[in-house]
Amino acid sequence: MRYLLIALLLAGCSTTVPVTQKFPNATPELMKKCEDLRKIEVDKVAITEMMKVVVHNYSLYWECSAKVDGWQEWYNAQKKIYDEIAK
Amino acid sequence: MWILSILSDAAIHTIFGLGILGTIAGFVLGFIPFIKAYRLAIQVVALLTLVFGVYLEGGLADYKEWELKVKEMEAKVAQAEAQSANKNTEIQEKVVEKTKVIREKGRDIIKYIDKEVIKKEEVIKYVENCPVPKDIIDVHNQAAELNKGATK
Repeated sequence: MRYLLIALLLAGCSTTVPVTQKFPNATPELMKKCEDLRKIEVDKVAITEMMKVVVHNYSLYWECSAKVDGWQEWYNAQKKIYDEIAK
Repeated sequence: MWILSILSDAAIHTIFGLGILGTIAGFVLGFIPFIKAYRLAIQVVALLTLVFGVYLEGGLADYKEWELKVKEMEAKVAQAEAQSANKNTEIQEKVVEKTKVIREKGRDIIKYIDKEVIKKEEVIKYVENCPVPKDIIDVHNQAAELNKGATK
């Protein structure tokens, strides 16, 4: 009788049924690290050779910049998608 | 309510139904001899069963409503996950294409230096007479490694 009473009193206790939401995967290309800038490895170098290293480094900067732009777009898009759920 | 996971919908409706039937029996059908003999006991048990039945019916209705909301939310989450995956593919393609163009342009400029710039008389003269001083190279290399100081 005592156990029945306890069971009845506890009948109203809640149970949770969570809706799990996975954290969105990042785009693989954005996960790649930005390369280190190239150095001039010799003591004497012609201005044209130095220019080639500078051009290469500019390319690396713009590649990295494209990734940052990608991350910003990724974040804004994911935020928009997941804010829609909360509405 | 955890008890809803143990009791089936039919069991809850049965408890509620028994409560109603017992209450009717205890309060209305008192003229029947068997009921007359146990009237008080039937009334007490029937009322308790009815109260518990009403409580469970309320809980069940609320549970069903929440279950609908959970399903609705699960559908929304699934849709969001699909949208997210599509957006990822779109961004991946865009970044890959942009990176490819940047690399090609960089290579083109380097090729242009090798094929055209290097052949210009003015440049040839400059290269022959003015090698880049080591101090300038050092400064360039230091600038290329600015991030190293910030890395722990």
